[in-house]
Amino acid sequence: MSQPGTNEIELPEAKALIDRFYDVGMMVYFFATIIKCTFSRPFYFMRLVDQIRALGLGSISITIVIGLTMGLVMTLNFGYGLAKFGGVLYVPAVVSLSLAREMAPIFTSLLVAGRIGSGMAAEIGSMNVTQQVDAIRALGTNPVRVLVVPRFWSAVISLPLLTSLSCFLGILGGMVVCQNEFGMPPGFYINKVLDTVMIHDFLSGMVKSGIFGAIIAIVGCWRGLATVGGTRGVGESTTWVVVTSSIAILITDFFISKIFLLIWGH
Amino acid sequence: METILNLNNIHKSFGEKRIHQGVNFELHKGESLGLLGGSGTGKSVLLRSIIGLEKIDSGKILFHDKEVQGFTDELNLSKLRLKISYSFQSGALFDSLNVFDNIAYPLFEHTKLSYVEIQVKVAQVLKLIDLEGIENLMPSDLSGGMQKRVGMARAMILDPEIILYDEPTAGLDPANIENVVSLMLKLKERGQSSILVTHDIPAAIRFCDRILILIDRKIYFNGTVEEFTESDDPNILKFAQGQAKEAHHAS
Repeated sequence: MSQPGTNEIELPEAKALIDRFYDVGMMVYFFATIIKCTFSRPFYFMRLVDQIRALGLGSISITIVIGLTMGLVMTLNFGYGLAKFGGVLYVPAVVSLSLAREMAPIFTSLLVAGRIGSGMAAEIGSMNVTQQVDAIRALGTNPVRVLVVPRFWSAVISLPLLTSLSCFLGILGGMVVCQNEFGMPPGFYINKVLDTVMIHDFLSGMVKSGIFGAIIAIVGCWRGLATVGGTRGVGESTTWVVVTSSIAILITDFFISKIFLLIWGH
Repeated sequence: METILNLNNIHKSFGEKRIHQGVNFELHKGESLGLLGGSGTGKSVLLRSIIGLEKIDSGKILFHDKEVQGFTDELNLSKLRLKISYSFQSGALFDSLNVFDNIAYPLFEHTKLSYVEIQVKVAQVLKLIDLEGIENLMPSDLSGGMQKRVGMARAMILDPEIILYDEPTAGLDPANIENVVSLMLKLKERGQSSILVTHDIPAAIRFCDRILILIDRKIYFNGTVEEFTESDDPNILKFAQGQAKEAHHAS
């Protein structure tokens, strides 16, 4: 317990809370460093291309599965749910709007966070504990430029593209279910989708996923560079990154949604 | 002799744990210093402080009369690290790059040499370390001794003024120790200044011009190799016996 007249805080809960605030502060500073390094020489363009190939293209298979599954499952549930009230005709609108605005960005980002966020933490963390990050510094280069900036921008670029793919496949999956389960013609389904989903609905999903990509990269790379304690430390870091980035994505999603609703209305 | 590196009253601690309390020494041009001391006495921390990988609490590290700790911006730190290079204990090779790309990394980053010129330079360095033809191997394909030598090749490829060797012979068999020490001697013949952190007293005696011993967070002994080997100071004798035991256990 803290003693009167001293500033010492010994409550473990309070210390944990202070640690969380410290982590957030450090990540904000880390983000500022990434932006500073992005706009000053030297640039590592080929590393960015490599990272887009590894993180973006490497996540396509998982995105296809997520997108199709979301579309199929949502359409089935909404379809039978709304059928009770004679509302099957609204299924294309409900499914496409929720996919474009929320489900595609959130689910794609959460699953990609598990894949690339943990990958970043594991790769950079292993480099850190084996002194490879120190070697980058000792050889007169900056680990943020060499390791972090390409990963950050590859995540920011790749996530919206993956989300678009996921959204498209989800809507496609919905069309298949609507046709086979509810006898809805594909032409009617597509018209309903195009009437409902406005460009700003789609854009809000893209902007969200870009921000989620940034969150995944910041959390993953920051923790990777802070990893200590050998292989055990690397394991702890990967777990921490998946949990933290998932929570951060969900919390951020609420605020971004609120902002977009204020800008574009309901 | 021209002094190129001067450590003046260095203090360093990690939290409550004090590592250095008033460390002083100088490195002259072309000289090889051996920095000895028990495990956990902060030898490697001292090397890391010299190139700005660790921040000292107080004191001055002067490289050509310029204070190293004042090199806080990226550009100046980068310039310093081109002149003082660090050979890591484990080699610290980038495991995603092959041997060629590891050794060529500083050349790609800091020179405007063409790819062909870089290939020639890497081949020359590999010849110097007696590891020709391994350009395409990955670090995981190399033995511990080979990794250390490739790490040393990477550290020397830009021809730095000073090389800091962090336990280059640790964990190696006698044949590999001989290879590593021979390489360090070759570089010494070329006029390279260096600081060698080691527990390997025979290697230090063969390689160094002067020996420093860290005891109780300070430089306890600073003298020539002859003065070290002929010393009858009980603390130095005790230290040498301890190191011999440690080396024996390690082997």
